[in-house]
Amino acid sequence: MEPLDQDLEEGELELPADPMSLNMGPSHPAMHGTVRIVVELSGETITKADVQIGYLHRGFEKMCERGTWNQIYPYVDRLNYVSPMLNNVGFSLAVEKMLGVTVPERTQYYRVALGELARISDHLTCNGAMAMELGAFTPFLWNIRARDMLWDIFEEETGARLTHSFGRVGGMAKPPTKYFKDMVRATLPRILSVISEGEGLLLKNRIFLDRLENVGAFSKEDALEWGWSGPCLRSTGVPYDVRRAHPYLVYDRFEFDVPVGSAGDNFDRFMCRQEEIRQSARILEQCLDQMPDEGPINIDDPRVVLPEKEDVYTTIEATIQHFKIVMEGIKVPAGEVYSYTEGGNGELGFYLVSDGSGTPYRCRIRPPCFAITQSLDRLIVGAMIPDVVPTFGSMNMIGGECDH
Amino acid sequence: MTTEAPKPAAAAEAPAPPPNTITIDGREIPFEKGDTVIKAAHRAGIDIPHYCWHPGLSVAANCRMCLVELPPPAGRPAMKLDVLKWDAVKNDYVVDTKPKLQPACQQACAPGMSVLSESSQHVADARSAVQELLLLNHPVDCPICDQAGECRLQDYWLEHQRKGKRMKQEVVHKPKAVSFGPTIVYDAERCIVCTRCVRFTEEVAHDPVLSVRERGNLNEITVSPGRELDHNYTLMTEHVCPVGALTSKDFRFKARVWFLRSARTVCQGCATGCNAYLDFDPRNNTPYRHRPRENMEVNKYWMCDEGMLSYSRAVEGRLLEALVNGADATVDEAVADAKTMLGGLASKPDRVAIVLSAQHSLEDNWALYTLAKAYLGVTRFFVTGRPLGEGDDILMSEDKNPNTAGVLRLCEGTPPRPLADLLKVADEIDAVVALGGEIEIDAKELAALKSKKVVTIASHVGPLSRIAKIALPACAWAEVDGSYVNKQGRVQTSERALVARGSALPGWLLIGKLGRALGFATNWKRLSELRRAMVGDGPALPSKPGSEVRA
Repeated sequence: MEPLDQDLEEGELELPADPMSLNMGPSHPAMHGTVRIVVELSGETITKADVQIGYLHRGFEKMCERGTWNQIYPYVDRLNYVSPMLNNVGFSLAVEKMLGVTVPERTQYYRVALGELARISDHLTCNGAMAMELGAFTPFLWNIRARDMLWDIFEEETGARLTHSFGRVGGMAKPPTKYFKDMVRATLPRILSVISEGEGLLLKNRIFLDRLENVGAFSKEDALEWGWSGPCLRSTGVPYDVRRAHPYLVYDRFEFDVPVGSAGDNFDRFMCRQEEIRQSARILEQCLDQMPDEGPINIDDPRVVLPEKEDVYTTIEATIQHFKIVMEGIKVPAGEVYSYTEGGNGELGFYLVSDGSGTPYRCRIRPPCFAITQSLDRLIVGAMIPDVVPTFGSMNMIGGECDH
Repeated sequence: MTTEAPKPAAAAEAPAPPPNTITIDGREIPFEKGDTVIKAAHRAGIDIPHYCWHPGLSVAANCRMCLVELPPPAGRPAMKLDVLKWDAVKNDYVVDTKPKLQPACQQACAPGMSVLSESSQHVADARSAVQELLLLNHPVDCPICDQAGECRLQDYWLEHQRKGKRMKQEVVHKPKAVSFGPTIVYDAERCIVCTRCVRFTEEVAHDPVLSVRERGNLNEITVSPGRELDHNYTLMTEHVCPVGALTSKDFRFKARVWFLRSARTVCQGCATGCNAYLDFDPRNNTPYRHRPRENMEVNKYWMCDEGMLSYSRAVEGRLLEALVNGADATVDEAVADAKTMLGGLASKPDRVAIVLSAQHSLEDNWALYTLAKAYLGVTRFFVTGRPLGEGDDILMSEDKNPNTAGVLRLCEGTPPRPLADLLKVADEIDAVVALGGEIEIDAKELAALKSKKVVTIASHVGPLSRIAKIALPACAWAEVDGSYVNKQGRVQTSERALVARGSALPGWLLIGKLGRALGFATNWKRLSELRRAMVGDGPALPSKPGSEVRA
């Protein structure tokens, strides 16, 4: 070791008094979805924050203008990629609204069921990751174990664990498998017990609570002004849930509560999501009870729905139908539509314009986390560096949909 | 279009049917004497589905797709047919009546006639049934069929049928891939025997080499015994075929039509100047076919084989790089060398010959003509092009150059002489600036020019570009917008389709560069500038080239 008793003049030991600029991200373990936050620090307190998105940019909206309507499903899968099925459902409903068609009742239940499973997966991921970033690795693994049970169901139903591309205009790619209801009924109690255990690990933990309670609080009025929706809005005490306020599919047939918080802080956002998992489970139970086991999955319109593969290979009529839909795309009547559903993070809206051809003229998305992320700087100014991580985590910003 | 004057509001007498109009689905449209319903509708932009009807051919009325309902005039009973109709509830056929439908392609228009097309359920049922019948024995060929993507059977199935066929039996099999001649392959299974090709060969090509044999579901198109489909308009039979029965050997399996884009071009095959579409794939910058574009004043609906196959000249035989004494050079180097070579010419314009080209556009020729006449003061003008070829009284001209009339009109004051005359006076000149590589005389005769300072600006390699000391690569017609004057004297514009290959630049741009290198103000850098200068250049040109009807 070098001796510390170097001979220094008194004047050279002046401590710097300028605020310090610090880059968090875009490549930072807690900046999921590559976000950059430039913070200005006075000591360890943040005096200024500049949140910069755009590091994950696919040109989703522009890409949509090149493919046919059904070719957009793989793109919407990758919007909020922790709950792709909700995006599939939301986009399907938007195009169907334009076409003026309603899918058969069985599909409506199926979409609700798959969507709620995706919502549980979304909330499990968000809360698990938030805990992990605070050092609690076990609850993260707990949640991910539960999420894997859901993904097993998705894999069985759609063939893919994450990016399902399972929605179709006018129905779904495949009908529910024979064991769909059994699988969900067997899995739900296990998931509920896992999240209870996870809560047990966290909610008495001082480190965890100190970074959640009264940190990153946002008022009801501010949240509304900044266009918040979803669990983040509800945590501030506004009971707005698209499923309840503007029911779509068959959501008006289920009993469920809309959990709200009071302080709008990290803790309320965490707890809202935990409670919503339980409510989704409630919806799922009722949905499975009501869902018919028989019946068509797709609407009966050869202009919209693909024929059976076997027919395509053996009859000219089905070949033509297949050809027209695949090569030219579904002819959606000219016009425009805004359709919105409750996505994992809040109101997921699609504003679509059709010129009557087989390809969207414009496909605009209203990603819920975009509105939420834009007010992140207001939540973290005045807080400390370690508060940024859980605050950002609790917003559940997903790069795929934010950088639209 | 004639429209009737508005009637006085107080007309008390019984409303007489308005003259020379019919109503289709409640919409009133005018018709002309001798019109059929489908013709009047076609003119008014109303689409009545059809396979066998073609505006340029006689009426056959055999596909039955254009059936329409004609409600009887007021006070007259409707003509009804007794039919057996399937009743799904009773699970049996029941006796019913339906109106007798008429083919719109054969039904003459009468004043005040009412026609139900889209609005009649009977018509919808009939079209669905016709479509089912036409697809009854159709093979599952869309994935391997060249017509897929522009096939009436596909379009009308989705528009008018939208269900499977009821026949469960094996379909009738017929000959496939029958060669009809050097250009056409026939597939009898895909054929709906609309006889468009039969009527075309008889009525337009005046060579009735096709006919129909057998009856019912065994009938097919056949070539006369001992003959082949080998006249000059064979590819048009493929073009008029509404389905994939006739396919062109040239286009077969080359491209999928939905990947192709079309540019409105003018055929470069001869002086007729047929209006055409050049279909090309923008992904690989390759042209795939030429097909006629309707222009009733020039080519009507048709084109000849030679013209339809001439699309390949956009890429074949091209001069793609600048050449200085036969060696590759950049365009700028070649222009600089040309300046050195031609530098001393301004003082002795008598010793310079200018060769214009009937193969190149008006813009290219105007640029060279202007450089030579206005700046250099040259008086010796010559013109070349491709040699004469076969002509007929349908479309083909013996003059195989698209712009002969344009060059002649351009040089009205100093009529250009044929290239042979230049060779006669070869001793009196030192330098030649030529447009176009191809000549109408034997290449050996050019030997007299070998020792001269020859600069050639050409899109294609030819004798004139081979003997040139300096050759500059010009864009082919498909790579640049250009105007051409056909033998009728019509100025027609051809659109750019492809991106220029190699180092090719528009001919007028190269001439402008050359002029600037020689110290003249040939400042055309954009086509619009050049065209403005052309129009402002007085009587040599027809008013506004490029603004002529594009049909």
